[in-house]
Amino acid sequence: MTIDAAYLLQLTLNGIALGLLYALIAVGLSLIFGVMEIINFAHGELLMLGAFAMTFALPVVGLLYWPALAASLFATMLAGFVIFEILLVRLKPDEFERSILITLGLSIILIHTVQYLFTATPRMVDTQYGFDGVAIGTIRLTWTRLIGAGAAIVAFTGLYLTLRFTQFGRAMRAIAQNREAALMVGIRPRTVARNAVILAAGLCGLAGSALAPIQLVTPYMGQFLIFKAFALVIIGGLGNIPGAVVAAVALGLVESWIGGFFTAAWQEGAVFVIMIVVLMLRPDGLFKRGGMRVG
Amino acid sequence: MTTALELDVVTAGYGDNPIVREFSARLEAGTITTLLGGNGAGKSTLLRAIYGTNRLFSGRILFKGEAIERLPPWERLRRGVGFVPQGRCNFPAMSVGENLKMGCYTLPSSKHEAAIGRMTDLFPLLREKWRTEAGNMSGGEQQILEMAMVLLLEPSLLLLDEPSLGLSPRMQGDVFATVQRIAATGVTVLIVEQNVRGALLISDRALVMEQGRRFMEGPADEVRTDPRIRQAYLGGNIKETAA
Repeated sequence: MTIDAAYLLQLTLNGIALGLLYALIAVGLSLIFGVMEIINFAHGELLMLGAFAMTFALPVVGLLYWPALAASLFATMLAGFVIFEILLVRLKPDEFERSILITLGLSIILIHTVQYLFTATPRMVDTQYGFDGVAIGTIRLTWTRLIGAGAAIVAFTGLYLTLRFTQFGRAMRAIAQNREAALMVGIRPRTVARNAVILAAGLCGLAGSALAPIQLVTPYMGQFLIFKAFALVIIGGLGNIPGAVVAAVALGLVESWIGGFFTAAWQEGAVFVIMIVVLMLRPDGLFKRGGMRVG
Repeated sequence: MTTALELDVVTAGYGDNPIVREFSARLEAGTITTLLGGNGAGKSTLLRAIYGTNRLFSGRILFKGEAIERLPPWERLRRGVGFVPQGRCNFPAMSVGENLKMGCYTLPSSKHEAAIGRMTDLFPLLREKWRTEAGNMSGGEQQILEMAMVLLLEPSLLLLDEPSLGLSPRMQGDVFATVQRIAATGVTVLIVEQNVRGALLISDRALVMEQGRRFMEGPADEVRTDPRIRQAYLGGNIKETAA
């Protein structure tokens, strides 16, 4: 097999774009875990809701990408707020098992509600950009992919600055590092947890909106993502946000390369083979764990 | 003298287990009081009840004459109750500077700089270690940082749970001297200490707990020389003679 450099570069760029979307999901999961000590198994469904919101918003705004994206972000953040206020707020940090069952149950309910309301028929959406893109030599990237990747990078930058330099974001890291000390300085854990869930839902909504014009939108699109995102959070070092981003981009690359050179059947399996190998060799993941480190 | 804190038949604990039972006491403003008692007597539980981070079953807690027992911790903090819990109670993966900024969480941002400046003047160590991660400092340095994080808000009542635990004898002396300096500015201090002798030496009063109940109360000097207390807490074991 000869490897064509342009083809490899194309796969690499696609992989990075995919990895950035994984990172959006993994980072949100990591954020919620840090603040609430629960894994939100309904996380993939927030992405699915974001994608569906995009399919409904786009025709309304005449296929304009940015207003539809804004509407979809708002919708997922609202969904995050509702999920927090109705369910998650009742969970205490030591109720890990309950949190798994409740969020897993919620995930299944959301999938089937969406399927009931909108059927399982995959939807394709079009945007103002259609399939236009940029071509450099034989390499081609559609605008929708580029915008998705760009939006993810902007989101990470914003999140980094928020967590690092604002009291709003610092309070999230504070709770992740020491709950009692957070109470000592007068932080209200409930408010901070709510903010973290809304923020994480927004990141998922962004990923869903960015994916909607790129792949088919179905009620099941988020189902397996949660397991990948969970794996990424562990491999990146539980609670280490840059670690999760690096692991996610690496995963996107590996998937893209494997998918490009081998049959697609290997793609999904390989991810979990790599995850198991990494966790066998380094049980705590690749990067330093804990404390919601941001740098 | 005015009363800073009044505990009125307080019963408190965790879950369904009351640990402190029907405890009453009164702290005069600007005094240092040591809370003594064996392991599991309920000393930490009582401090947590005053700050509101555990369960209060019954009784009243009056701070400056106002009932605070129904308020969440951040409201008590806003009214002037500061609590430094036992053990390393800071944000270990944040720098000293960030820890101090978190200490300002309840202050308007216009007041952060002045408040932090006061603390770095009081504890120059914190300015030197500004960029150090809190978790990488020595136990004594972390204890100073934690006190500073609470003192930023200028509380009028300071609750300290074992501030000298795990510190070298010299560092323990520094911590006690600091507590004395803080009290001299008019802050009322309630301190739980494993170094009973050291704590009694700087205290005005002492409260003794046994199995969640009040056992005795009096001026620190009297309690220090009480034969029952000498036998129970000042038996001259290694830990106490070191101080």
